[in-house]
Amino acid sequence: MAPPPYGAGLAGILPPKPDGEEKKEEKVDYLNLPCPLPFEEIQREALMSLKPELFEGLRFDFTKGLNQKFSLSHSVFMGSLEVPSQSTETIKVPTAHYEFGANFLDPKLMLVGRVMTDGRLNARVKCDLTDNLTLKINAQLTHEPHYSQGMFNFDYKGTDYRAQFQIGNNAFYGANYIQSVTPNLSMGTEIFWLGHQRKSGIGFASRYNTDKMVGTLQVASTGIIALSYVQKVSEKVSLASDFMYNQMSREVTSSFGYDYMLRQCRLRGKIDSNGVVAAFLEERLNMGVNFLLSAEIDHSKKNYKFGFGMTVGE
Amino acid sequence: MASAAAEKGKGPADAEETAAASAARLAREWTTWAMKNAKVVAHYGFIPLVILVGMNSEPKPRLAQLLSPI
Repeated sequence: MAPPPYGAGLAGILPPKPDGEEKKEEKVDYLNLPCPLPFEEIQREALMSLKPELFEGLRFDFTKGLNQKFSLSHSVFMGSLEVPSQSTETIKVPTAHYEFGANFLDPKLMLVGRVMTDGRLNARVKCDLTDNLTLKINAQLTHEPHYSQGMFNFDYKGTDYRAQFQIGNNAFYGANYIQSVTPNLSMGTEIFWLGHQRKSGIGFASRYNTDKMVGTLQVASTGIIALSYVQKVSEKVSLASDFMYNQMSREVTSSFGYDYMLRQCRLRGKIDSNGVVAAFLEERLNMGVNFLLSAEIDHSKKNYKFGFGMTVGE
Repeated sequence: MASAAAEKGKGPADAEETAAASAARLAREWTTWAMKNAKVVAHYGFIPLVILVGMNSEPKPRLAQLLSPI
């Protein structure tokens, strides 16, 4: 007969614990660890909170479901897109495009295709070849020669590890492996090789998560060190921060943000070490109708981006 | 005489080498041709493929649903 778990005085008030119940600190079964997140998703929570899709201009997305698995999407964008440039000046290109998309989502097969008015196709395929082996294809095809990109990924999911092999265009080969070390900690490595430029790299990543927080560390031989930390303050509020050090360009960037997931809206805001302040609001006006507001202010580069939009459909 | 024999000896060896090299070259050209055409097929055919697979999934949507905006 187990002694009452609390002091004798409280035993009369609290219900006795049943004998079969496990104690708070259970013995870790190292042969039965959970499957870790895929290598490319270890920073998932930080990316979701700190990197919303900020845009400048008008955005309208309409998704029409034809049945449970198949839907079509129509998307209009009118505004400025930033073109990456070498100089400190940001170059904005005013663009307007219409994008048609078709999605087929099945547990075993996912086909997502988006085509723009200028002929650019963005295709994603995810196919479960067996219970543990998944093939993913990601491609951006353009009419201009030599600008298309494609990547094939083969993912194998084991009991407490995941392995992935990637083949991309321009003779890109990559592989990564991630293993659960304890129920909360998983560690992984990746290597890649670029054929045409004869460059190769190796990286190491680890993720520690509990119910309340997630911390990740990534180090790569390309000279990048990235850390992130997300604290789930409550069901509705998360705080996230990330830090990145680029050894090649001697740049350090760090950002701190919040993510409020409320019933009618989702508000994400962040501030950067470069002095960039950004916010993104998704307000649910009605069932399936979302109103978007996006803002990004960079006083030092004089870059002010404000956008609004609407998303109709799931 | 000896140089002519040496040249003759080199002749078939050269031809054999170019046969292997030309086989490799042909294989490379065919794979390039195949990749180029696969890219064109994927570019034009992917969205129709998704629509085809979707229209044949259960429950089958009607063609009017595909084309109308509601």
